[in-house]
Amino acid sequence: MLSESARMTTAHEASFRIQYPNSKPRAARIIALDPESAALVNEVSKQKWNGAKFFTSLSFTADSGPGTTDQGMKAWLGDLAGRAMDLAGEVAESDFVVVITAAGEDGRAASVIAAACKAHNKSLIGLVVPKDGASEEDVATSLDHLRPHTRMLVVASGRDYIETMLTALRA
Amino acid sequence: MLRKEQNDYLCQTDPGTPMGNMFRAYWMPALLSEELPEPDCPPVRLKLLGERLLAFRDSEGKLGLIDEFCAHRGVSLWFGRNEDCGLRCPYHGWKYDVTGQCTEVPSEPAESGYAKKIKLKNYPLIEKGGVLWTYMGPPEKTPPEPMYEFCTVPLNQTFMSKRLQECNWLQAMEGGIDSSHVSFLHRGDLSNDPLFKGSAGNKYNMQDLSPVFEVVENDGGLLIGARRNAEDDQYYWRITPWVMPCYTGVPPRGDHPIHGHFWVPIDDENCWAWSYDYHPTRPLSENEVNAMKDGKGIHVKYVPGTYRPLANKDNDYLMDRAGQKAGKTFSGVEGIGMQDASLQESMGPICDREKENLVGTDNGIIMARHRLLRAARALNEKGITPPGVDPEHHKVRQAALLLKRDVQYKDGAKEALKVKPGVRQTSV
Repeated sequence: MLSESARMTTAHEASFRIQYPNSKPRAARIIALDPESAALVNEVSKQKWNGAKFFTSLSFTADSGPGTTDQGMKAWLGDLAGRAMDLAGEVAESDFVVVITAAGEDGRAASVIAAACKAHNKSLIGLVVPKDGASEEDVATSLDHLRPHTRMLVVASGRDYIETMLTALRA
Repeated sequence: MLRKEQNDYLCQTDPGTPMGNMFRAYWMPALLSEELPEPDCPPVRLKLLGERLLAFRDSEGKLGLIDEFCAHRGVSLWFGRNEDCGLRCPYHGWKYDVTGQCTEVPSEPAESGYAKKIKLKNYPLIEKGGVLWTYMGPPEKTPPEPMYEFCTVPLNQTFMSKRLQECNWLQAMEGGIDSSHVSFLHRGDLSNDPLFKGSAGNKYNMQDLSPVFEVVENDGGLLIGARRNAEDDQYYWRITPWVMPCYTGVPPRGDHPIHGHFWVPIDDENCWAWSYDYHPTRPLSENEVNAMKDGKGIHVKYVPGTYRPLANKDNDYLMDRAGQKAGKTFSGVEGIGMQDASLQESMGPICDREKENLVGTDNGIIMARHRLLRAARALNEKGITPPGVDPEHHKVRQAALLLKRDVQYKDGAKEALKVKPGVRQTSV
């Protein structure tokens, strides 16, 4: 007589697995930190997503209210329609956040996003994407900018990987 | 999440499939040398990439890997007589050499040349590092021999085992690059297993259960770095190399031998989990070899006379609920290899990836799939040789080390990740 494990791991038994949606759509926030990665994010956003929101700029205004940075600034995300959205509010509503920077570009603004993620207990994923003419040192610099703040840091091949990753994460 | 057509693309390796074509670009472990120990020893049946094959060593010690079945009436040549430089079918006496060429058809006059017109499919079989390797692709594209360090050190410095794993190769291989499960599934073994315990690095694994990951592409595949907090403004890094399509290295611990795996498809619902241990600079001790033979570390105990694990799905993996409750093991299954295999087999013969819910720390798995798909498409559509075929790509080591927090591991561990003959592994 077959053991329970043997019976339960056949292809036939696999056909009885319950077919139902076992998760709700993720609220992903994808934030480009520089113009190079903003162009990529703009392209990626044209695919069909499960509610992912894409942002192509980060700006600040002087403020001292809730959700401001240590420097007394309020951070704003620029969406694809040109609207300024409150960073803290967007992060609070998210399930996870992805920041993208092109190799050699200044990715230090990730620290502001990371602070918002920390305040709301959200995971932050960092992607470094290639840029024409960028060197190994440029990649290293970008990684340095993101490393202290991300739970997962990836040197990605470009737009194709961003789409692959977001699809895999059901963004 | 992976769409069904992508999952099928990656999981199916039979002849003519895109991923099957890709696997056929590489030298793959086929048998242990011990399975064909001497000239004229019994032949061995095996199935690889959905093809039924037969391996034998002829009277002169030459190795052959041929179609399992006699061209005459389809009899399995496993019943054959291995004698006088060939394998003779016991049914009507047809005889084949190691290239699959039929050399005798007794019922036909020798002068007729009938035998010359019969040839079984064959693949090259070479011996290296205690392993018999085969290449199942087009002969004109045969790559140079494999150069993984474990198969280039003296035989007394290396040990290889294999075990049957009853699920698709991909879900098994993905376990090899999924560093985040170690602190849970294998936590008991870090302090108990003779091939793991005692290393200084173990404490970092146990103190920091939330490693942070960094994935970078390497020439042959990926480097997956997992970092944990350490003292003196340092990180403890464990770096796992993956060489396409199915080689994974486990970061070392102390001066214990280095280990890792190949995950070789048998068919779409079974694979061979190959497990090596070697030391770059010294012979393995008697205690170490005995522990490996006894199923410690990443090796397993067998059903006698087979390469099937003693703990397997037919006996519920010898599940020990009391041990699980007492914390002896985390899952109730004993041994690192079977802890992995039991869970991976429970996913079903071929994992349905449409239903999975990956998280950010699964990026190593996401990127490995991405690279496999990209490489397989490039090979099938443009004939581009995939990464990992070039033996230079094999010369990568796993590493475990402490680095200052502002140092990128690919730079800080650059030398540690290189194979250097005669130089000890970098390990904590």
